[in-house]
Amino acid sequence: MTEKPKVGVYICHCGINISSTVDVDAVAEFAKKLPNVEVARTYSYMCSDPGQVLIKKDIEEQGLNRIVVASCSPRMHEPTFRKAISEAGVNPYFLEMANIREQCSWVHEEMEEGTAKAEKLVGASVAKVRLLEALETKEVDAEPAALVIGAGIAGIQSALDIADAGFKVYLVEKTPSVGGRMAQLDKTFPTLDCSACILTPKMVDAASHPNIELLSYSEVEEVTGFVGNFDVKVRKKARYVDFNKCTGCGDCAKECRVKDRFPNEFDQGLGKRSAIYLPFPQAVPAKYTIDAENCLFLSKGKCGKNPKCQEVCGAEAIDFEQKDEFVEFKVGAIIVATGFDPFDASRKPEYGYDDYPNVITGMEMERLVSASGPTEGKIKIFNGEEEIEPKEVALIKCVGSRDESVGNEYCSRVCCMYVAKQAHLIRDKLPDANIRIYYMDVRAFGKGFEEFYDRVRRENVRYIRGNPSEIFKRGNKLVVKVEDTLTSRPLEDEVDLVVLGVGLEPRADMREVMDLLRLSQSPDRFFLEAHPKLRPVDTATDGVFLAGCAQGPKDIPDTVAQAKGAAASAMIPLARGKVTINAQVAIVNEATCRGCGFCVNICPYTAIELVTVNRFGNEVEVARVNEALCKGCGSCSAACLSDSIQPKSFRDSQILPQIAALGVMK
Amino acid sequence: MKMDLEQLRKTAAEVVSRDDVRYLVGWKQGTYGYRVAPGFIEDAAGAAELIFSPLCTANLATYLTLAEQLPVPRGEEPDDRKVALMVKGCDSRAVVQLLVEKGIERDDVVVIGCPCPGVIDADLLAEKYPETEDLAEMKWDGEDFLLIHGGEETKIARDELLAEKCRLCRYPNPIISDIMLDQEVETWELAEDEGVQEIEGKDVDERADYWAEQFEKCIRCYSCRNVCPLCYCQDCVLDRLNPTWVNRSVNFSENTAFNIARAFHLAGRCIECGECERVCPANIPLGKLNRKLAREVRDKYGFEAGVDPEAEPFQASFKPDDPEDFIL
Ligand SMILES: Cc1cc2nc3c(=O)[nH]c(=O)nc-3n(C[C@H](O)[C@H](O)[C@H](O)COP(=O)(O)OP(=O)(O)OC[C@H]3O[C@@H](n4cnc5c(N)ncnc54)[C@H](O)[C@@H]3O)c2cc1C
Ligand code: SF4
Ligand code: SF4
Ligand code: SF4
Ligand code: SF4
Ligand code: SF4
Ligand code: SF4
Repeated sequence: MTEKPKVGVYICHCGINISSTVDVDAVAEFAKKLPNVEVARTYSYMCSDPGQVLIKKDIEEQGLNRIVVASCSPRMHEPTFRKAISEAGVNPYFLEMANIREQCSWVHEEMEEGTAKAEKLVGASVAKVRLLEALETKEVDAEPAALVIGAGIAGIQSALDIADAGFKVYLVEKTPSVGGRMAQLDKTFPTLDCSACILTPKMVDAASHPNIELLSYSEVEEVTGFVGNFDVKVRKKARYVDFNKCTGCGDCAKECRVKDRFPNEFDQGLGKRSAIYLPFPQAVPAKYTIDAENCLFLSKGKCGKNPKCQEVCGAEAIDFEQKDEFVEFKVGAIIVATGFDPFDASRKPEYGYDDYPNVITGMEMERLVSASGPTEGKIKIFNGEEEIEPKEVALIKCVGSRDESVGNEYCSRVCCMYVAKQAHLIRDKLPDANIRIYYMDVRAFGKGFEEFYDRVRRENVRYIRGNPSEIFKRGNKLVVKVEDTLTSRPLEDEVDLVVLGVGLEPRADMREVMDLLRLSQSPDRFFLEAHPKLRPVDTATDGVFLAGCAQGPKDIPDTVAQAKGAAASAMIPLARGKVTINAQVAIVNEATCRGCGFCVNICPYTAIELVTVNRFGNEVEVARVNEALCKGCGSCSAACLSDSIQPKSFRDSQILPQIAALGVMK
Repeated sequence: MKMDLEQLRKTAAEVVSRDDVRYLVGWKQGTYGYRVAPGFIEDAAGAAELIFSPLCTANLATYLTLAEQLPVPRGEEPDDRKVALMVKGCDSRAVVQLLVEKGIERDDVVVIGCPCPGVIDADLLAEKYPETEDLAEMKWDGEDFLLIHGGEETKIARDELLAEKCRLCRYPNPIISDIMLDQEVETWELAEDEGVQEIEGKDVDERADYWAEQFEKCIRCYSCRNVCPLCYCQDCVLDRLNPTWVNRSVNFSENTAFNIARAFHLAGRCIECGECERVCPANIPLGKLNRKLAREVRDKYGFEAGVDPEAEPFQASFKPDDPEDFIL
């Protein structure tokens, strides 16, 4: 850059946000004396239209070629001013912002201090802006298709919205059927709609939509590329049943030699299934799957003379030779909707979940009260002597939530309501039972929640404030040991059935997806969003979005809302058909790079690889940055011992003079 | 322990005679007194000069990266034959660390392992048995050292001369090798790291004073960097002019910047061969500094440099579940 820098400095009052603790005119006077500064002005709102016009006019009239705006954080308005100066013909990267609001006026109370600091910050920005380089933003085509990982209600909803908008969707579900946890629920709070009735039509839509390719019993193996251009590889696990031939008649499961021997996952182990199975009657797709671990033929090599299922299947769909298959495709955006795991009640041994069959979890209760469940909706328990209808029922909230001892400080946001709902459902089936709920607080913040809570209390359900310390057995009864904290009375409450209101936890296998897409976790261990308020469905990886409980505990209405939000965001690159590539990317000095690969390991966006180059006749390895992936975060630069990789606009030669101008370094 | 010199020389001769080996780096007798020199052996005849004795303190792994990669004249092929290298336990860790950080390729070296009963500290030796101009030799003799000089043999107790790094050595047997020259030695009871304990016993101000006094002495000869097997950047940041991270003037501030920058660059990479301290003409106890950092890395992250060729480089690994207790 041979052209002599001509710098314009624009100092914003931000109403009185800045000017009440920074003497903006003094800062302008100071700036005028700095080398290469041609103009320095102040204005009430620099970001407003007249503010921008001021800058553009100076550029045109005075031939400015470098601009410093001293105002708020660049996160707010850097794009605004970049656009403004480029409209006036200056390269948008010849801009430097001095943050004299968040980092200055807002943290100082004295005018003198604020002004002195603003001057330093402006001086530093002027020092840097002179050394910036012109950069070009590039655009590449985006593939008009999306990948949705996980087909619970979140994934299904996102997929349907994107597909309805006319884009192709690949919906990948790990288990044999779509539906997720919602499919297991009986009725849903606060309106008590039957879960299956509202979910099943969506499940069917997702499977039959012309724009959705459903890959059930499948897992994403590999994702490479970047927003607009992800290359995805999916493993379709062998079902040992020919997908196209199976009619879903179920003759095989009825005849299986190990019929109804294994705990049915869908019924939380309360019911039993065969080695060949359909997870639940409304499963989509309605295709049977062989559980290879338990199938006699697949695990032992022999099932009687001939495998029974094969003998009875009229459609000749059983195929023991089937192998995992791989499909590969390209998408422009990805939605992660992998949901949650219910808290494992064994981790609170004091509640005796592992020891007493009549201590059950909320998830099990859902199956127990469900008409399609293992007991056809009858609440019956075995008390050690006989099968009875429980008379005394206790429900305990916050099991595994708001509990530091199990590492979950967060509130699971659904247990208050689902426990109330289950109390209502139990009341429905057992009109004479005594039902009480042990609670720490009642959080009924959602639409219709408080009303529902009131209704349940009127149904003669007692709320007792106290967090049980122990559950033990006395004769045929379970004893809940607790202190009623409203009356400070210790209680030993004898009951027949205890329902643990288990919370929601991050999935145990979430690391696989994290590694696949380079996602991070927030302190509660759920997937981390890009910004808790302003970008709640985005992630730090461009083009990857979050929906549903994968991002944090939530109920179905919130899950669906977020799923729709994620779908809308994911469609931006698809609809535009193009994505813009960041220009402030890292660049390698191949002459000094020693090819150690530290930067390759450290880059959070997998943007660097080692390539072999010819250095004066010798083959050597050096780092190379994929500009489409690099976010200019600078991690590589910090890791490089030999200082061989630096982000453009943040090179040592640019930031050291900036730091020096702050007066902290020679 | 008796290192069979015949065996060593025979093996070395075989290795250098291989078509795919360019030269072998080993130890050979120096020119006077207790000196041992690096030998660059190119043919079978040269192998007769090689020795392995308690005087072989130097870590020759540094020559793997010190060798300059000269431009290849047009029309010629680069010489990509292997380099053979004799290593003690500590030296082998340098090789492993170089593999970890891609400083060398496994196929580029033939590692000849010398299980090591411990070497001597040349300063202690010279203090007790004054230097002479004639060549002296040394051998391992059971638990002791044997000094052979002027036809006379002197038995010296191991503890009297054993180098500090060897007192602290956890890996006397080479960690990797293509050829092992002898049977493995038994590891010995580790001494307490008094040097590091001394530092840890000081409070922050005392530490600052201690190092100020030490760094004051540095003459910025860069011997420590140049001898270090892991300081091999094409263009070391300490030599850069734009930006000048470390000024060329020799004064306390710049000396400190240099020494601290190097120490940090070696955190999780230093394999504790002690070469930096050995060569420092100003007698700065660099080992204490580097071992302290190695210890921090070991205690805080459970990582040890140069013991696992498959490891992720420590400074370039990131685990989301790092405890980070020490960060506010
Ligand atoms: C006991 C209980 C009762 C509840 N009752 C109510 C209620 O009455 N009303 C209400 O509004 N909410 C209720 N909820 C909350 C409700 O269950 C959730 O809001 C909802 O299920 C969240 O849906 P999701 O799609 O985010 O997650 P999930 O339902 O967990 O779905 C995630 C899907 O992703 C799949 N998956 C996971 N990982 C992968 C992977 N790597 N690759 C491919 N697929 C993957 C899973 O197999 C699953 O199908 C209740 C929760 C519990 C525990
Ligand atoms: S600047 Fe950040 S994103 Fe870019 S290559 Fe370096 S580490 Fe990766
Ligand atoms: S860390 Fe530096 S020296 Fe190592 S590969 Fe990356 S750019 Fe090259
Ligand atoms: S540190 Fe260990 S391997 Fe190295 S010379 Fe001493 S004893 Fe031998
Ligand atoms: S060898 Fe010693 S004197 Fe020389 S640069 Fe290193 S610390 Fe300084
Ligand atoms: S810093 Fe010193 S002790 Fe560590 S590897 Fe380098 S030369 Fe050896
Ligand atoms: S001091 Fe740092 S930059 Fe210099 S050679 Fe050693 S590791 Fe490389």
